[in-house]
Formats: sequence, structure tokens, C-alpha cells
Amino acid sequence: MTASPLAAREATLGYGRHVISEGLTVDVPEGEFTVIMGPNACGKSTLLKALARMLKPSHGTVLLDGKDIHHQPTRAVARRLGLLPQSPIAPDGITVADLVARGRYPHQGILRQWSAEDERVVAEAMDATDIADLASRGVDELSGGQRQRVWIAMVLAQQTPLLLLDEPTTYLDITHQIEVLDLCAKLHREGRTLVAVLHDLNQAARYATHLIAMRDGAVVAEGAPADIVTAETVQEVFDLPCRIIDDPESGTPLVIPRALAAAPR
Amino acid sequence: MTVLRLGGYSIRLRHRVLAAVLGSLAVLAAVAMWSAATGSTSLGLERVWDALLGQGTKGDEFILWTLRLPRLAAGLAVGACMGLAGALFQTLTRNPLGSPDLLGLTQGATTGALIAIIVTGASLQVTTILAAVGALATGLLIWTLTRGGDPSGYRLVLVGIGVSAILAGINGYLLTRTTIIDAFRAVYWLTGDLSGRDFRQAAAVGIVLAAGLVVIAFLHRGLDSLRLGEAAATGLGVRVGATRVTALVTASVLTAGAVAVAGPLAFVALAAPHIAARLTGSARSLLCSALVGALIVTAADMIAVAGVGDRQLPTGVVTGVVGGAYLIWLLIANRKKGILS
Repeated sequence: MTASPLAAREATLGYGRHVISEGLTVDVPEGEFTVIMGPNACGKSTLLKALARMLKPSHGTVLLDGKDIHHQPTRAVARRLGLLPQSPIAPDGITVADLVARGRYPHQGILRQWSAEDERVVAEAMDATDIADLASRGVDELSGGQRQRVWIAMVLAQQTPLLLLDEPTTYLDITHQIEVLDLCAKLHREGRTLVAVLHDLNQAARYATHLIAMRDGAVVAEGAPADIVTAETVQEVFDLPCRIIDDPESGTPLVIPRALAAAPR
Repeated sequence: MTVLRLGGYSIRLRHRVLAAVLGSLAVLAAVAMWSAATGSTSLGLERVWDALLGQGTKGDEFILWTLRLPRLAAGLAVGACMGLAGALFQTLTRNPLGSPDLLGLTQGATTGALIAIIVTGASLQVTTILAAVGALATGLLIWTLTRGGDPSGYRLVLVGIGVSAILAGINGYLLTRTTIIDAFRAVYWLTGDLSGRDFRQAAAVGIVLAAGLVVIAFLHRGLDSLRLGEAAATGLGVRVGATRVTALVTASVLTAGAVAVAGPLAFVALAAPHIAARLTGSARSLLCSALVGALIVTAADMIAVAGVGDRQLPTGVVTGVVGGAYLIWLLIANRKKGILS
């Protein structure tokens, strides 16, 4: 197994007294596009929040580069690990360039508020996400897909080798979902380690290079999509009888659900 | 957008924000000069200038240095404190109505002032101190009650409204326990006024303002990131909890300082951030909010001194009217742009 820059060790996760995962151990392999999937309320977003240090485990630890993530200065963590949350808020009237520039926060200080380096990185991030021509537009005038690319650009401006994305395709139509996932795949090819929570099993199978399947707060299976997207695993994770065929477009596994009950005729 | 870089120092200035800040400063300077020159005895700019440089008559110097400048300085500092506090509370609560009035700090200051008035018969010094203590204690209470819970602004607003309602009840009770003379003094304090303020009081608020500005210089980028939501701010490396607590404490201290000296001048903390947002085109200029606060109070106080007929008005009567009218005018004038919070 490759070295793991980010990992959960025996982590117990939950909100208040409500425990979601107990003793969870997960490794995010370096250089892979990891997708966490599973049915609603399986704890996949909770795991991502814990990996992003938004949720502190009540027991166990989350390790970034082998050290407890909560014992490292949060700004230093923000230079290693970028996070796209599920529903970030764009302040009223903010322009695309301004929002992307917010990604430079962990690199700035009270004296260094806008260096030449900041300017260059923000321009690069906007190029990489294909939003350079939107730079002076207001974020609130954009379509959902464009807006998601702007948020991804903000996270890219953090210049982190690790990117965490919490359901980046939710609320997008199918074209924009594919656009965002293609962008993620490109970022992965450029050498970043990605972790995303995705709802759509087939998209997960197609884009992930490493899959983590969860149910009831525990990891049921993990590995390459071709190895773990099987009829048995899908049955086990989702309670869904299905057939698996090769995706004619990408050659990855494609899940074809069977009817749950005989359809009335 | 203008970028300034000097060695390790770099800053980016939006042209519109820069224009709004410089414009407010210019208007503020003009209003301050005008206010020093006018009043029950009109001095005119020339005599003001002479008296400032120590070349005026004894009478002119007395009017300027003892009567007008302390009051002007107190008004500037009080207004700036209130503008800043309002902007901080609106950011913290994510609510365009977030203000010391909504969250109960004003009511807390009032409780302190009423106790002082009843116990000491309205010694200005004791009233000032107890009002500050009341506002600070309320800020502390709100922080204690919201700690550890859901960190969204709603909780802060709801807890604040609850605390505010309790304090309003206590204040009502206290007012019924006063003599008619103390009750009149209390109502006068409740309106808010700057008359008779001296340099010591102006200096006290000035120190509070300076301290607040220093804290905000370190805090404002974190607060800016907090506007993207707790999750995004955490991702960017903002210490969300510490930033929120520091902002709440700073806003409480600014409110305490201002209200203690001038009473709860109506509407300044609420209106200043909105007016600043209209002027700068973005909802995040804390500095502009402070300037607008200072401007509202100074202009209102000048009108209050001119008064109705030959009677001066309490400053608080005018701040509500002036601030409210200007805000409504701005809303109507920029109806289409839709920047409010």
C-alpha cells in the first residue's frame, strides 16, 4: 500500500451523544482519486468532515502526514488540505475573482495581504477551472455549474496537494455534474490527491481510482472500482439487487439495478 | 483595484471602497469643522482656526476647547465605536438586523444606568461606569449561553432576543421604582445625549475605539472568510471559534464604551453598516462602517445643538431621524442593486 497522507485511526465520530461511526480506520492513499460512497446516513459526509478537521473524533485520531490533525495549526493544515464544503455561502455581490482570491487566506498575513504570488496563483486557479473570462462577474449571476467551478478554483488557490470535496455534484444537472467530475479527474491527473463524497454509484465507479463503500458508519469495502463494484457489494451496501456490466464509454463497472418487486403489468 | 506593495507588505484596495472611505473622511472633516464653527454662538471658520492655534480671544478659546471640541471628539469616537460594533454584530449573526439593540447589550447598559440613577441620583460618573458594566455583562452572558451549541448566527440572535426581553422587563420594573425626577433623568439618558461631555470621556471612548481598531486589523480577514460559512472558513484555516469569540468581545467592549458615554443613541449601530455597504458596494468594509457611524453622530449632534426653535434636542432624538432617513433614501435610490446585508 502507498503512503497515506491522510488517515483516520480508530476514530469514533458523531454529533453530541449521537454516535455515527465507532472505531473507524480509513487510509486515503496518496495520489488517488478516492470516492466515499454509500446510502444516505451511512456516515460518508461525517467521515469527510472528520478528515477535514471540521469534526473532532471523540475517540481515536485523524492523522495528517502522520500527526494528529487537531494538534497542527489550522492555517498550516489549510496549506496541505483544501476543502469544498457542501453548501458554502457566496457573500452578496462578491465577484468571481474576489471569491477565488479568498483561497489565499492561509498564505497571507496582516502585512502580506496581496502579494504578486497571490495574484499569479489566483489567475492560474481561474485558468485551470476555465472561469478566467468570468473574473469580474458577480457570483450570484452564474449558473450552478459555473458557481461550483468558482468554488473549486477558490480551493485550488489554496495550493494544497490534498483536496476534499463534499458532494460536489449535488444540485447540479447531469451535464454540469460530468463537467465538475471531469475537472476533478483532471486535477487528479495533475498529481493531486482527491477525496470526494458522491451520491451516484455509477459516477463513483467511473471517476474514482479508489473507492470506499460505507454502511451504518462502517467501511464495508475499499479498493479499486473494478474490484469492489460487484453485485454482492452493491447488495450489501445498498440492499439493491443489480447486474454489473462494463460501461461502454469508459470500461468501468456500470450498475444496472433490478426491479425491487415484479412490476405490475 | 489598486495593489500596494512595499517589501514584505502588500495590500489590495478596491477603488470603490477607497473612494467611499476617502469620501466619508472628507465629509466627516467638513461636518466636524462646521459643527465647531456653529452653535449658540456662531464663531465662523476663521475664529475657529485662530482659537485652535491659540491665537483667538479667551472667550472663543473657552467655547472651542471646553465646550465644543470635547463634545465633537466624544461624538466622533462614540459614532465610530457604534458603527464598528454594528458591523461586527451583523457579521457574527449573519443577520442584517444584528445590532447591540437586538442582542440586548443596550438594554444591559440601560439596566446599569438605571441602577446608578436610582442609587446615586444620577452621578454621571457612576452612570457611565455602571452602563459600561451592564453592556459588558450582557455580552458575557450571551457568549456563555451560546457557547458550545450550534455556532450559526441564529442561536446568537435568539439568545440575544431572550436576554433583551428579560432586561427590558427589569428596566421597566426599575423605572417604576424611581422618583419622578429620577425617572425623567432616566428617560433622558435612554434617549442618548452628548451635551456636557468633557475630554476625559472623549478620551475614554477614544481608547476603546483605538483598541477595537487594532483588534479588527488582525481579525477582519478571518471575519471576511467566516462570511463564506463555518465549513469553508475552517477549510481556509480560520480559527472559527476564536475569531467569533474575539469579535463578540470586541463588539461588546465597543458598545459598552459608546453607550456608557452617550447613552443608547438610536439606530447608529444598525444603520451605519448598511449605509457603508451601499457606499462601498460590498458588505464588508468595517472601516467605512466606523466612519459612517462617526458621521451620523456628528451630523446628528450638530442638528441637535441647533435644535428646534431655541431649544436644543438630545442627540439621540436626531440620530434616529437622520440615520433612518438617510438609510431609506439610499434604499430607494439604489433599489435595483440589491445589496443589503
